[in-house]
Parts: sequence; C-alpha cells; structure tokens
Amino acid sequence: MNEAKAAADRLVKAKRLNALLTPVKELRKALDAQATVARPTGVLYGMPVAVKDNICTLEFTTTCGSKILEGYRSPYEATVITKLKAAGALIAGKTNCDEFAMGSSTEHSAYGRSVHPLDKTRVPGGSSGGSAALVAAGAVPAALGSETGGSVRQPASFCGVVGIKPTYGRVSRYGLVAFGSSLDQIGAFGRSVHDAARVLSVISGRDPKDATCEDRDPLRLPTVPESLQGFVIGLPREYFPADLDPAVRRACDRAVRLMKEQGAAVREVSLPHTQYAVPTYYVIAPAEASSNLARFDGVRYGPRAAGAADVRALYRATRGAGFGAEVRRRILVGTYVLSAGYYDAYYRRAQQMRALIVQDFRNAFDRGVDLLFTPTTPSPAFKAGEKLADPVSMYLSDIFTVTANLAGLPAISLPIGRVKGLPLGGQFIGQAFLEDEMIEAAYALERVVPATEEA
Amino acid sequence: MSVTRDDVLRIARLAELDVDEEGLPALAEQMSRILDYVAQLSAAPASEAVRPFVPGPDAIRFRPDEVKPWPLAVGPAEIAPAFKGGFFVVPKLDQFE
Repeated sequence: MNEAKAAADRLVKAKRLNALLTPVKELRKALDAQATVARPTGVLYGMPVAVKDNICTLEFTTTCGSKILEGYRSPYEATVITKLKAAGALIAGKTNCDEFAMGSSTEHSAYGRSVHPLDKTRVPGGSSGGSAALVAAGAVPAALGSETGGSVRQPASFCGVVGIKPTYGRVSRYGLVAFGSSLDQIGAFGRSVHDAARVLSVISGRDPKDATCEDRDPLRLPTVPESLQGFVIGLPREYFPADLDPAVRRACDRAVRLMKEQGAAVREVSLPHTQYAVPTYYVIAPAEASSNLARFDGVRYGPRAAGAADVRALYRATRGAGFGAEVRRRILVGTYVLSAGYYDAYYRRAQQMRALIVQDFRNAFDRGVDLLFTPTTPSPAFKAGEKLADPVSMYLSDIFTVTANLAGLPAISLPIGRVKGLPLGGQFIGQAFLEDEMIEAAYALERVVPATEEA
Repeated sequence: MSVTRDDVLRIARLAELDVDEEGLPALAEQMSRILDYVAQLSAAPASEAVRPFVPGPDAIRFRPDEVKPWPLAVGPAEIAPAFKGGFFVVPKLDQFE
C-alpha cells in the first residue's frame, strides 16, 4: 500500500509543529508493517490515524508526554487501537500532549511545546494539542485524543478542526492512561465532521475489559440532514456573558442565524450553576489524578531514580524527578483536597456541585431542547507562555468545555469562523448517548458556516 | 487561604513526592491561588442533601471470576527496572510511619 509511505511523508513535512513524538524511522517501519496486514474490507482501510501519547500502543512508546514514562513500551494495546486496526486504519505514530493530559496548551509536555499550525508564536491548545495540530496541518485526516475537561474540543477550536467527545461510557478506556476516571473519555479529531464521526463510530461500543464502558452497539453514523427542521437548539445564557469577546459573539450569532435559516428553532436556556463548573472540575480532577498517578513510582515500569536507600525514598525521588511542574501541582492539590479535615470542604462540596451541574442539563433537556450550542472557547489560540505563570488563568480557558465532562455528556466542536485570522470553534452539547443527533446538527451547520471567514 | 511551606512539605510527604527546596515558596504561592480559587465552592448555594453524581453504568457488571493467562505482549521482567525470580526488586523499607 503506497498509502503508508505517503502518510509518513506528510507527517515528516509537519515536523516543525513538534506534534509527533514518534521518530521518523520507527514511524515508517511501523506504517509499512501495518499496511501489509491491514484488512482491505475495513471501513477505514488505509486511513492514517495519529494517536495521543496517553493511549497504549504496541508499535510505539507510550510516554504521556512525561519523563516518568520515557521509553515506556506498553505490554498491551488499548481497545480503541485494536478496533481501529480491525477497521483497516493505520496507527500513524504518537502525538505530543500536555504531561498526563494536564494542561490546555501542550506547553506542559516534557518533550517540548507543540506549535499552532497557523502561527508559530501561539499554542495549538491542549491537552491533545499534537493531534489537533497534525489534523489541521493536513498531516493526517484524523487523530485520537482524550478528554478530561475539554482536551479534544479546546485544541480543535484553536486549530480549526472538528473534535468530538463522546458520552461517558460510549468508548472503551481500556489502555487509556487514567487521569480523572469519572471524567476521562477518548475522542476523535477530523478535518470534517464526517471524518471525526466515522473514527468515533469505529472506536465506540461495548468492551468487556472496561467496566465503565456501556453495553451498547457501536454508534451508527447518521446521514447528512436536508435541513435542521424539527431541531430545538438551546443557547445557555451563561455561555454568552456580557464580557464575552465581541468577535466570538459575532461568530456564534452568525452560526445561530444560519441554523435558524435551516429551520432550527432556537431558544435561550439557563444552566445556573455554570459559574461553579471550573472550580468543581479543579477539585475533582486533581483529586482523581492524585490517586491515579500513585502508580508511577519506579517499581514496575518506567525509569527509576538511582541510589535511594529505602523504598519510600525510591518512590519520592522517582516521582519528584519524573513529574513536571503542572502534574506536581495537581497531585499536591488533589492530595490536599482529599486529606483529613479538608475532604468535606472541598471534595464532597465539589461532588455536590457536580450533581447540580448535571441537574441543570437535565432541566434544559426536559424542557424540550434537543441540543445546546455555545462557543467552544472564550478566545482563539493564545500566545505561548502567556498563561504559564498563572495556573488559574490557564484553567479558565476550559470554561465552556468542562461542563460536558462533569455531566458525562457528548459534545462536538466545529470551526465557525476566524477571529483576527485565527480559527474559532462552536460546540454542540448533546444528550447522553444521542451523539447521532449532535452529529446531524454539526453536519448541517458545517455545510453552511463560512468557517474560514472572519466573523 | 494561605498554604505555607510546611503545608506543602506535609502534603508532598502524603503524595510520596520530593519537592526541591528552592521551588517551595513558588509552589506554596501557586497552591494558595488554586485553593483560593476553588474555595468559592463553599460559598455556592448547595444543599447538604444533594447526592454526589457518579457517571457510568447504573450497575457494575461483573466478569466471571476465573484464572486466565495474562495477555501481555512482554512480561514484567522486560519492563520492570529490577525484577528477579518472579518479584519486583526494591530497596527495603527503612521504617513505618
């Protein structure tokens, strides 16, 4: 299959983005080997799919963008990888990401920051920034990422590609290195809604190896609808605050007008607990991370710090040297909010707030709204280094995406215009396991929205 | 909410994480800012009766409890930093805390 060579060539051309962690030689060899065994009857036959480096593969190392897993080769592969291969896809290397998926800019990778494909001074978003940048640069038609708080949709918005986060339980997480287990989902990037959706359809469905994966058939791809007749789209007023960037508002207004022209009914709704979503997320996610990342201790796999006299000194030295600044911060914050005397004030409180955020969505959908439409991000891609010194300002770039993760709902980001030459995404948030409706609406909007025109 | 240097050291010990001495003041300051930011949750109007949300299937599905071969491409001996006679080798525990 010549596709293997062509795929490798395209990826090599995108080297300046620092989006791919796999060395070129290894990439070519692995693509050749896969191409010779790929099933010609598979629905993704010959399609190169780049994979975020926190998803385990047998062909390539899995480092999660961290020094603590430098050179690590997983002894098993993720279910999503097995499913992609069975569909004839070629696993086209591993993509750069924020360390353990903790970050919104891909600057927190131990292997250097990835670069925005349109402006090298800017970030591609994160944490799945490498995947988004490669798809945007045309190096691969599709890629896998993972989401805990918006790590597929936010970089999709920044890079001008489509990113889908499925319902919690739609896709198996077997072989996804865990960050926040009650939030994590694997998602897909594509240059079009169709490319992202067909990858999602292939990786979705039951898996006996993951108890949180629902016992359901794979997602069936909807057809492209004639119009949006019959769709009721809700605009949550909390996602359009008075201080929203006017260009972002213009882009959303234009998208809404185009949806109305296609026959959609649009109404304003309220999700009153939205303002607490980011603080809720930044209690729950670090708490779960501090527990999940306890396994990286230099005992069973990965590099080990030399010279420790005692086993606990071994853990501390390995972890202290292996984790980067943001991961260390989150482990410490997570340990703090779970520690005696603080658990009720922080963790329990955040879990209660999460329930209220979930209820907000239920109320909106109960009132007859099919889908919600919002900006994906409050701004287009920011400058590299701009938010590094202030973790809280970095966290706030997830403000419109974390709610879908907290509520376990599906969401899709697609390009809706440019702001000062930079792409911007709009997102649909759907009802649990109704990805098909959400994808239909995205097809309809994608067809009419001038995605590369200034808003 | 102000996190002190000693707080960071105590938490780092719980988290089994070495933190370097010169980074401590900055870390304490950043943790204070993060914890200040999330502390707005305590001012939020939420009743104590709200039940925490747990995503995922309503009932956990159990697999048959049976012994099966471990389906790994390579064994632990090949990926562990130190492995001998079926065991992971580590330095001994100096003292219990």
